[in-house]
Amino acid sequence: MKLFEYLDGSMASFILTAMGVGFAIALLGGLLSPLVVLKRMSFVGQGISHSAFGGVGVAAILGLTAAGGWEPYAFHGVITIFCLLAATGIAVVSERRRESEDTVIGIFLVGAMAFGALLLHVRHRLTGATAGIGWESVLFGSITEVGEVHLALSWGVLVLVALILFTIRHQVIFWAFDEPAAAAFGIRTSRMRLITMLLLGVAVLASMRLAGVVLTTALLVLPGAAALQLSRRIHTVWFLSLLLSVVGVLGGFVLAVETGLPPGPSMVSAMILLYVLSWPASLWRR
Amino acid sequence: MSEPAIVFERVTFTWPGAAQSALEDITLRVEEGQYLGLIGPNGAGKTTLIRLMMGQVAGYTGRISVCGRDPEAAARNGCVGYVPQRSEANLAFPLSCRDVIAMGGAARQSGWIRASSEQRGWIDRCVDLVGASDFAGSPIGAVSGGQRQRVLIGRALACRPRILVFDEPTSGIDTVGQRRFGELIATLHDELNLAIVLVSHDVRAIVRGAVGCERVACLRRRLHFHEAPGGLTPQVLGEVFQHDLSDVFGEVHVDAHHVGECEHHHGRASDSGDDS
Repeated sequence: MKLFEYLDGSMASFILTAMGVGFAIALLGGLLSPLVVLKRMSFVGQGISHSAFGGVGVAAILGLTAAGGWEPYAFHGVITIFCLLAATGIAVVSERRRESEDTVIGIFLVGAMAFGALLLHVRHRLTGATAGIGWESVLFGSITEVGEVHLALSWGVLVLVALILFTIRHQVIFWAFDEPAAAAFGIRTSRMRLITMLLLGVAVLASMRLAGVVLTTALLVLPGAAALQLSRRIHTVWFLSLLLSVVGVLGGFVLAVETGLPPGPSMVSAMILLYVLSWPASLWRR
Repeated sequence: MSEPAIVFERVTFTWPGAAQSALEDITLRVEEGQYLGLIGPNGAGKTTLIRLMMGQVAGYTGRISVCGRDPEAAARNGCVGYVPQRSEANLAFPLSCRDVIAMGGAARQSGWIRASSEQRGWIDRCVDLVGASDFAGSPIGAVSGGQRQRVLIGRALACRPRILVFDEPTSGIDTVGQRRFGELIATLHDELNLAIVLVSHDVRAIVRGAVGCERVACLRRRLHFHEAPGGLTPQVLGEVFQHDLSDVFGEVHVDAHHVGECEHHHGRASDSGDDS
């Protein structure tokens, strides 16, 4: 296997770093996915991750397009700010204006993409330069751009998300299960919505570099959807979601290394396979 | 003497942008352990009254006290258990009926604190009190509507409330179901001495004593409060509902006497109330 050859050779550190990032984002997806599926927020990940395009446009205008030095960090810092603002905006606007969440997400998604495209066009007119770094790696992810800083970031985000989710697990489950009743029981539902959006925002950011914007959503949907086919016990569902996510992400990663395919599509294909395999189990369970 | 469970003093509330107030000059007292039935037609302000009681809306004039404090603080402290009209719960959630009941007790608990044996014992008692022992392990999406209502009552009890609020609990339930519901409420009332507020547009269920309330109040923006057993006549109901109910509820006056029988059943006399 190519993977073992790489692990024996000079690529070992690079492969292990990428696998470490993959493991962290798999656990992140597995943690958040049951909540995303049960609260019917699948579109949220899409909205937040696509807001990154607005950040790409701002970074281009600021001239943060060099592949080396500190500029890639600044580039991703701008995207981070954009995604977190989008997550907060979606939560606040849907709460305050009583708009349905999918409408607000749709507006933020297309708005951020249009904004990013306009800024790139303006930059092209002003300087004659093309997008530079950004578009492809933001869209589909890249193994080559994953380094030790990103490894530390993804595990840091995982620990943060896990700690927050565990602390508020009773309230967040109540909110996701029955929002009007949760409010009547004194749970601040708007706060729950905002915290969930921000957790999704940081999870999207941690996953984006390896899996890409377009495919990050899959990490937040497929493990939970497959786990819910397999169990009707909430703790078992959460455990299976984590397990399936790790199997899907690392399986897809191995596939990418072996075949030279891009990692994002390989991981999503592995997860879709797991989801399809869960169907017969759900029929048997009935 | 301790503060009544619920106090509304000259409360007026208007929804933002509305030309007319939803509630006008409402004065109401519900003492500890008292059982109040609140009736009124659709749009009379019943749900608004509940939302004010639960601290979910602000911007009213007058004074509201629930369990001796601000209604929002009372809701956050688990003083009020709420049983909704229609559950908007996601029934695909992988939760058993017992999990849902326990949810009410854990609503303000940090995830780091493990439920004590005493807390687990209380949840077991709630399961038992609402008669859910036989189906406690079943998924919430797999039980009947009546069983689900028992689970939701159990969830409301799990937070150890002093007040239990029911929003249209008899809607869509047949006469036998209403009787069973009345028996369940009587059990809870007797065993836990809770103040109970039952809000309904179903005049029959309340005035015929099916749900066993001690006092009846009629709401149509303003509160028309009536001491049971007297006062509640087809004329009063006709005025509140703006419809002649005498042919449908010809025996209402007799039913008002049923309300009195309920008092006898619960062994307590109704306290004085404020007419408005």
